[in-house]
Amino acid sequence: MTALQDIGPVALRPRDVQFDWDGVPLHWMPGEPVATHVINALNLLLPAGERMFVSTFKEALAEVTDPEVREAMIGFMGQEAVHAETHDKVLWQFLDRRGIDPRPYVAQADFIFGAIGAAAKRLPAPARYRNLVERLAFIAGIEHFTAVLGDWILNADLESFGADPTMADLFRWHGAEEVEHRSVSFDVATHFGMGYVQRYVMFVLGSGGLLVTVVRGTKFLVHQDPTLPNYGYPRVLAEMTRAMSHGALPKWRSLAAASIRYLRPDYTPEVEGNTAQATAYLAKSPTAQAALA
Amino acid sequence: MSTTQDLPPHLYGRGNRHDMGVTLVIAAASALGRLTSHLSARGPERVEDAGRVLTVERRTRESLDGSVVGLVLTSPDGGPLPRWWPGAHLDVYLPSGAMRTYSLCGDHRDRNEYRIAVRRIDGGGGGSAEVHDVLQPGATVTVRGPRNAFPLAPPGAGSTARRLHFVAGGIGITPILAMVTLAESRGIDWSLVYTGRDAASLPFLDELARYEDHVTVLTDDRHGVPTAATLLAGVEAGDAVYCCGPPPMIAAVRAAVRALPETELHVERFSPAPVVDGAAFEVQLADGTLVDIPADRSVLDVLREGRPQVAHSCQQGFCGTCSVRVLAGEPEHRDTILTDEQHPDEMLICVSRAAAGTRLVLDL
Repeated sequence: MTALQDIGPVALRPRDVQFDWDGVPLHWMPGEPVATHVINALNLLLPAGERMFVSTFKEALAEVTDPEVREAMIGFMGQEAVHAETHDKVLWQFLDRRGIDPRPYVAQADFIFGAIGAAAKRLPAPARYRNLVERLAFIAGIEHFTAVLGDWILNADLESFGADPTMADLFRWHGAEEVEHRSVSFDVATHFGMGYVQRYVMFVLGSGGLLVTVVRGTKFLVHQDPTLPNYGYPRVLAEMTRAMSHGALPKWRSLAAASIRYLRPDYTPEVEGNTAQATAYLAKSPTAQAALA
Repeated sequence: MSTTQDLPPHLYGRGNRHDMGVTLVIAAASALGRLTSHLSARGPERVEDAGRVLTVERRTRESLDGSVVGLVLTSPDGGPLPRWWPGAHLDVYLPSGAMRTYSLCGDHRDRNEYRIAVRRIDGGGGGSAEVHDVLQPGATVTVRGPRNAFPLAPPGAGSTARRLHFVAGGIGITPILAMVTLAESRGIDWSLVYTGRDAASLPFLDELARYEDHVTVLTDDRHGVPTAATLLAGVEAGDAVYCCGPPPMIAAVRAAVRALPETELHVERFSPAPVVDGAAFEVQLADGTLVDIPADRSVLDVLREGRPQVAHSCQQGFCGTCSVRVLAGEPEHRDTILTDEQHPDEMLICVSRAAAGTRLVLDL
């Protein structure tokens, strides 16, 4: 982000978006079925993951007295809550109706994220507090990647792959809000005393977990997709790499570079993406605009 | 992390076999939990939320009929104020205790002062009359912010728009004035359609006079009520439109911009709509406290006074963040997100209410 792109902090507000999935084809990037499923796999994880973010933030909010931090958290929670509900509808109104049963995968995602919250509840008070800071650091690590992915999708030429406009708007609206609120979880975790080592350990766990579960979800979706052969992991990874070289997915190299940036002691989420670009997109996104009316 | 829950089925439905992936994730998280549990943790810093006290440096008459007053606010020690960007507003706490929100309308590059402008509305809540009558030079006032719910995305720095078109109705000129200043300073091509009842009531006409090539002033007494086409004169697909004014004007502009492909429309995002058809009722909290909810306020609004950490977000009943378990009583649901299965036991305290004189017991 350059000085001219700096438009300062933006008041975060959730948007009441509604999407109509009728008529959107399963391969919504027609020439890129595996890349489509990689992004669909992210969608499998999002409802459970983002609900965990909201419940963790609710727990943290009770401890926060700083009005600016509190206000940012309140905006963040609403945006994440709407993301979770919106992607949940994609599971049932889109994937399930196109012959892809998301239940086995969703049951596992719900189980894992549910276990994280349930384990915390059983801890005695000081340990529960440390655990809360760990979960905040974990969320900050994942949000680093969601900002990187949000910035990628705002700049990606999905139309050159024939992307369905509704699906492209879903992920760009989501990506723009991720860019808009990219500093919040990092600032909150820092506010709660996240240290450098903890920051990176939780990032490796969060982003590594994200990568593994997305690849696993992609294989799961490809396996269920009757129009695709039953690829094993090597072939799924090869197909992902091929889609990356076309620009239908962010490249391994840029993901690795983003991981290294997070290592820098002077890292700030500000450099990941451009708030002005996110603001401009939300001002012309058909869905975000309809939500204002 | 140990768990008493049953492990979910294998991803590919292989009988009752545990899924290696899930088992590994749980084992890794558990190991990490043990590893980091010795790390020390300090609580978040406690911050006193006192706002910022500013001094009214000077007052200016901004419209011919005197209905709009401009106030320049400075720090009592004369030092620089927090930075702001066009579109930002301040929450101003008046001596009577009333809070009003005003857009900053000065030059954002000036770090030493904030300028707001206030139209006197007699018969309103009295806030604007108080500003006009009480906030004389030398008076102090508490503010919070600035905060920006109407950010400007400049062409060439994030926006692909070629030019900016501003539409302002009356006092809606205030955020637009700051945007015009930025557009001018960056050499961005812009135009403004500025409307109002009559020229005497329009603020800042003298400041805008130097941009006469860019500005079209339309007053109802001379030009009639403007249509969307006149408000958007000269706008082409791919431009960016920033609109601030009365709701019917924004609605007309929105409908017209929607017909233009790839055209940005920016409007200020306001706080929640007032309560409609509400009745007074009572809420009992988990600790037994009883709280009266007046007919014109939400449960959330009342609870936030004493407990600013109550979870919430959209304040319009769609995000679900403020959902609370209902332990007793019959809520009257006004949300758009909870399902019928959730409704008997949960409610969104930002919009949902109860019948007159009844009591809700909430798990809060």
